[in-house]
Amino acid sequence: MRFFKRNWTAAEADEWTREDALAIVLSPIAYVLIMIGTALSFLLLWPGFVLLGIGIIATIIMHWVIDPKLKAISDEFESKQKDYILDLERNMRWEETDE
Amino acid sequence: MVTFTMLDWFWLILFMLLMVGCGVLFYRLGKRSESDFFLAGRGLPWWLPASSVYATHTATDTPMWVTGVIYRYGLSGLWYTFFPAWCAISAFVSTRIFRRSVAYTQAEWNILRFGGLGAEMLRGWIAGWQVFMNMFILGWVGMAMGKICELAFGWPVWIGLIAFSSICAIYVLAAGYWGVVMADFQQGIIALAVIIMVSVWGIIAAGGPGAIVTRLGDMGESWRLNPFAFSGWFDGDFPAAWFVTMLFIAVLGGFGMGTSIDWYPEAQRIQSNKTVRDASYSIWWGSLLVLARNSIWAVAILGFYVLFPNIQETSDYELGWFRIAFEYLPSGMVGFFFAAIIAIHLSTVSTHLNLGAVYATRDLFKHYFKPEATEKQVIWFGRLATFVLLIGSFFYGLMMEEITSWLIFALWLMAAGVWLPNILQVIWWRFNAWGYLASWITNLGMSWLVVWILPSFGILPELQDYQQFWLLMLLGALVYIPVTLLTKPEKMDHLVKYYAMSRPIGWWGPVRREAERLGLLIKVEEAK
Repeated sequence: MRFFKRNWTAAEADEWTREDALAIVLSPIAYVLIMIGTALSFLLLWPGFVLLGIGIIATIIMHWVIDPKLKAISDEFESKQKDYILDLERNMRWEETDE
Repeated sequence: MVTFTMLDWFWLILFMLLMVGCGVLFYRLGKRSESDFFLAGRGLPWWLPASSVYATHTATDTPMWVTGVIYRYGLSGLWYTFFPAWCAISAFVSTRIFRRSVAYTQAEWNILRFGGLGAEMLRGWIAGWQVFMNMFILGWVGMAMGKICELAFGWPVWIGLIAFSSICAIYVLAAGYWGVVMADFQQGIIALAVIIMVSVWGIIAAGGPGAIVTRLGDMGESWRLNPFAFSGWFDGDFPAAWFVTMLFIAVLGGFGMGTSIDWYPEAQRIQSNKTVRDASYSIWWGSLLVLARNSIWAVAILGFYVLFPNIQETSDYELGWFRIAFEYLPSGMVGFFFAAIIAIHLSTVSTHLNLGAVYATRDLFKHYFKPEATEKQVIWFGRLATFVLLIGSFFYGLMMEEITSWLIFALWLMAAGVWLPNILQVIWWRFNAWGYLASWITNLGMSWLVVWILPSFGILPELQDYQQFWLLMLLGALVYIPVTLLTKPEKMDHLVKYYAMSRPIGWWGPVRREAERLGLLIKVEEAK
């Protein structure tokens, strides 16, 4: 069994899992590395290219891990969205929501 | 003063026609439905809202702000521009949860998450606050445009304030959010291209990257190349404690909704995506582009510093990036640059015109005054609200000088004492509408006390902004946590409905168990 899941059922994708945790950790790290790396790379300083490279790799890994799950969540949610929007419109009468 | 050639005028007029053309082209789509006028029918692929996130985060005053902090602090000033990093976590947490709620606005989300009278009060408060804030931001950026036109052409300030916002209003009134997002796409491309072009031009004017590094070394200013050059842990005007606080606010804020003032426009972009996946990527990539853009800007400003190292007045060095363009670009390209400034300006104005209108229309007019309004009536009210926001922003802009300090304080209110409640409302089932309302009211009072009143009487020392943040967070929690625990939780059936739809992260155990008992969730084991 792989450490990161690549195939998700709708029920599995709805849970918060280690794939989400990895995205949550890698995402801000990628932002920091790319921001600093871009600035130093434009100054042609070698640490900039290294940081930028690591930032891009972190971004690729993050997307590789989280994308199958996001696809599964989206497919499942789209099937229910119409009903949710109808329900939202019913809430427009605020007297009804004041239970 | 800048003198335009024929080529400069060509660029400017061409761009204006493109923008207004958007309104004409997308007029039919915008009037199809309320969902089209305010969310482009919830059908956009991720890269369109992403370009809008980028364009909206590039306002007329952004180059001045970025220039100011980089000129003063070197590359470590980049951390002042790091606040969009809330999107790093938000893209995979609060963005996902908000997109699943299908709420048009943050105010509407309140009645899905909370229930009863407390939720209604929250919706009214957030909607009213947002109408005010959008009008204020429109006045603020309009005034910045007025000052740029005064600097470049010697026009009276009111011309720049009124002229370009009015042109922008044509396509926002006609096509609503369709006009906003399509124009943002063009404006984003033009603005990014020009920012890179002018910045590279500035770097070359300073002798190139190598020369900037060498000359900073010769001047004994190499610390400006270090992104972590702070004035000490707690000492000086740029301590590491500020940096840690900023990282804490910016990054962890992504677990909540409303932890950044930018959340409110981004919430509209999130909801306009066609899927949850598109929403996540639009927020993530749009913000990454903002951060990378800031880095390119920063290098150009280091070049400007090398060229003009002894400028003392903040108002002078803040115009550094504009000076690079106006003084170093060849004739004929200045018009292209000015068209890009207008692109930057219009993308911000269009966003806040439409965003203010959605709160006024959806959360106030339709919710409280005319729930039975037809789609046609709603769209026309949306246009009326857009027009009122435009006119109101002119008045705000013209009296901005007098009220700026008060309004900066009002912005501060958004951040400190309600930062944690904005997260708690997402991650903790027991946090209720009364606790959230209490946090707003407490923050309103405490921030006056901590920022102004107690220091003026010598009861509290003058605190740095990061110290104020921690103190306001603590003082607020002493009120809203007891209020939450002493009042009833939201009704379980309301919470279960919200949970099944949004699947929030965090401490939702009792709600989840009830949802499972009612058979609303498929258990993973059963699905297998």
